[in-house]
Amino acid sequence: MPSANIAKNYSPDFLQVDNEIKSMARNDKVVILPSIEAWEKLPWVKEYFNGKPKGGYFIWVKEQIDFPLSTCVNIISPNIKQDLQNLMIIEKGIKAKAGVVCSSLKNNLSGTHKAKGKLILKENSSLEYNHVHKWGHDDDVSPDYEFVLGKNSSLKYNYSNLFPPKTLDIKNKIVCGEKSSVNLNISVNGIDSLIKIKEEVILEGKDAQAVSRLKLVGRKRSDITAESSIVAKVKSKGHIDCQSLMIDNESKISSIPLLVCENKEAQITHEASIGKVSEEQLNYLRSRGLSEKEAIDLIVSGFLSV
Amino acid sequence: MKLLEIKKLSVEIEGKKILDSLDLEINQGEIHALLGPNASGKSTLAKVIMGLPEYKVKTGSILFSNKEVKGLPAEKRSKLGISLVFQNPPAIEGVKLSKLLEKISINEVREKEKYSHLLERDVNVNLSGGEKKISELIQVLSLSPKLLILDEIDSGLDMKKREEVVEILKKEAKERRMAIIIITHQGEILKQFSPDKVSVMINGKIACQSKDYKKVMETIKKNDYAKCKHCKKL
Repeated sequence: MPSANIAKNYSPDFLQVDNEIKSMARNDKVVILPSIEAWEKLPWVKEYFNGKPKGGYFIWVKEQIDFPLSTCVNIISPNIKQDLQNLMIIEKGIKAKAGVVCSSLKNNLSGTHKAKGKLILKENSSLEYNHVHKWGHDDDVSPDYEFVLGKNSSLKYNYSNLFPPKTLDIKNKIVCGEKSSVNLNISVNGIDSLIKIKEEVILEGKDAQAVSRLKLVGRKRSDITAESSIVAKVKSKGHIDCQSLMIDNESKISSIPLLVCENKEAQITHEASIGKVSEEQLNYLRSRGLSEKEAIDLIVSGFLSV
Repeated sequence: MKLLEIKKLSVEIEGKKILDSLDLEINQGEIHALLGPNASGKSTLAKVIMGLPEYKVKTGSILFSNKEVKGLPAEKRSKLGISLVFQNPPAIEGVKLSKLLEKISINEVREKEKYSHLLERDVNVNLSGGEKKISELIQVLSLSPKLLILDEIDSGLDMKKREEVVEILKKEAKERRMAIIIITHQGEILKQFSPDKVSVMINGKIACQSKDYKKVMETIKKNDYAKCKHCKKL
């Protein structure tokens, strides 16, 4: 049984190192448990899991909180295999923020991070979910998340991966209920990586809205395939924007936006572009004393942060 | 003491001669105005001195502090002490001015806090003409240049802002013995700078030079640049 500690300043609400849960915060308004414990103690959560979880966290925001939630899952030892099933539930009318960090301490730990997550936003709730990944060159990482948005709820999901692993397989499925809105921002910096991104937004409820922005950078033999789709089943609005930067000729980016419309009142659009670093910006920064590499790194970090 | 010595510099773009066997000398601490009609090659000269790669030098030499810099990339020239204030600097989304300064600064810019509102803005993104010029100045002055080239610094500035910018530059030039090349086709800013020397560029060459900027301005005002085409020294 992992020890549960009250979170101190700057401590995450849930901290896992390798496969050991190091700390969990206790709060009257939020229930934070290992997913296994939640499965055993709270029968109603079983419907959200596909079978008994092996690891991961359960966060249930029952009442309004005035602090951002934070979780941190790290790999610090070689050859660790993490298999997480995370569940986060935001109750009706609650507005919450979450900062989620998953990372590897070193470049050469050859870790595996597999995370299956489900986020339930109930009616009139909102969540800003900032998800940061930082991996080593030899890691294999596969986050597979499903977001279910209730009526009038809103989600802002920011995913940033500036230090990519060897392989990255991202799956995001977002199911939008009536009048819900989702704003997705995915930024991935491919450096000698095999990256697959599959993002699917399903506009299921009337007047739901979705904007999905994908920013990709391909450098040093990266192979990136990004499929981003919006399926409009009812009168709703959606937009996909995929922008990619190619830094060298050794990399490959396949950007595939897909729109599926099943209702004549729906408005769904997309734009996609793949380009190179602007020579004008590059020369400008070089005239300020930055080397070509330093200038490219700065332009790339700016591109991914917008 | 000579800081910059350009000898017989010729530059072409797609077979068209932009600079034609141009000679120019700038001394340490000198404020030098470079006048000329549109398309006379002034901005090209600025970019060639800075080492921007879009221009290929055909012949000639560029000595800076007695060192040939013709083959050096822009970042090396910057490290040697050459800086350029761009006429139209590019916008760099997502890069805050404060972050850029962290990367490039050699010197703490005086009164930087006066412009703190610009530090958290993205570099040249949605800035007014005046804000862009101030952003440029903060950047170049943080590099402690020995030679600062101002390409049309007066464009987009109202009179008050222009006076503010000139005051900053004159003070810096005096205290750091920094040479300045002021490129302008209007010449109004020269009244505030009182340059030590003026060169007039016509068709990619220095057509005339003088230490009396007022006389040059007067002549240009009367005759546009027509007279400059034929005179060697006013």
